[in-house]
Amino acid sequence: MIKTKDMKTGRDLFILYPGDYYASAIQCFIGSVTGSCVIVCLYDTIRRIGGMGFLIVPGAIGTEGIYRDQIAAQGINQMELLLGELVKLGADRKNLTAKIFGAATFRESRLSREFISTSQLRFIDQYFKSEKIPVYVDDLGGDYRRKIYFSPTDGKVYRKVLSNNDESSEFIKMELEFINRIFRNKDTFGDVILFE
Amino acid sequence: MSYILVVDDSPTIRTSVEFTIKEFGFPIKQAENGAEALDTINEFKGKGEDLALVVIDVNMPVMDGISFLKEFKKTDRFTPVLILTTESEGAKIKEGKDAGAAGWMIKPFKPENLKDVVMKLIQ
Repeated sequence: MIKTKDMKTGRDLFILYPGDYYASAIQCFIGSVTGSCVIVCLYDTIRRIGGMGFLIVPGAIGTEGIYRDQIAAQGINQMELLLGELVKLGADRKNLTAKIFGAATFRESRLSREFISTSQLRFIDQYFKSEKIPVYVDDLGGDYRRKIYFSPTDGKVYRKVLSNNDESSEFIKMELEFINRIFRNKDTFGDVILFE
Repeated sequence: MSYILVVDDSPTIRTSVEFTIKEFGFPIKQAENGAEALDTINEFKGKGEDLALVVIDVNMPVMDGISFLKEFKKTDRFTPVLILTTESEGAKIKEGKDAGAAGWMIKPFKPENLKDVVMKLIQ
């Protein structure tokens, strides 16, 4: 993540790279570019706190659903990291709404269209229902990248479709690295420490 | 029969934990934050039901897991409390240990690992 200034408004702009997450209770913009990954913007409508994070589910989810699935556990954890930041700032899950973007498919991508359309969408559907977080916008699919600006203190999202890949070449490379890392570590789980 | 209390503000995590450990046969109760957990414990203590184990997250609204632990240990030094969290910083883990946690497990959890830890703590 890098911190810069939005030229138009003079507000702080936090640019997230694939895998980053950030939440704020102070007026600013959080921005990024997504292709195959999903960008999730969460907003506490009562406390006016918002955050943005990346999500990619590293494989197919089993028929038993997200509660017993170790692939889904990786996606749940990515969401937990963002939710944890929001809660630290005083947000409450009960007030959250979601806007989600991405899950695009590309001819050159090694991820199959079937994988994108089933795993990511199935996870999103089950997860947000389970968390009882209403999804106000789901702008998913297509074969184009999206540039997203999120204003965390009012929940507004500004989206631009990127037709020119040169514009986001750095993000494309980093997104692929992030996806590969998540897939490589899909069998990695947290440590356990017993004190007694 | 004594029960296990699962405390997390995420319904998804609470359900996942319940699915994972219900095979031990303990009744499982759920709470959304530390304050609700204390209320639940007091309510069931009044009914004569014993608590076998608490599995609790750290970052929750109203009352976080560490604050719960400090409050809970004032009246119950023996029932084990397992922290299940995304927090992995050494200082935070030490805070949990000093407050009386029996163990610290970092999400995402592997079901077999959680079962092993729960088995050790309830024995």
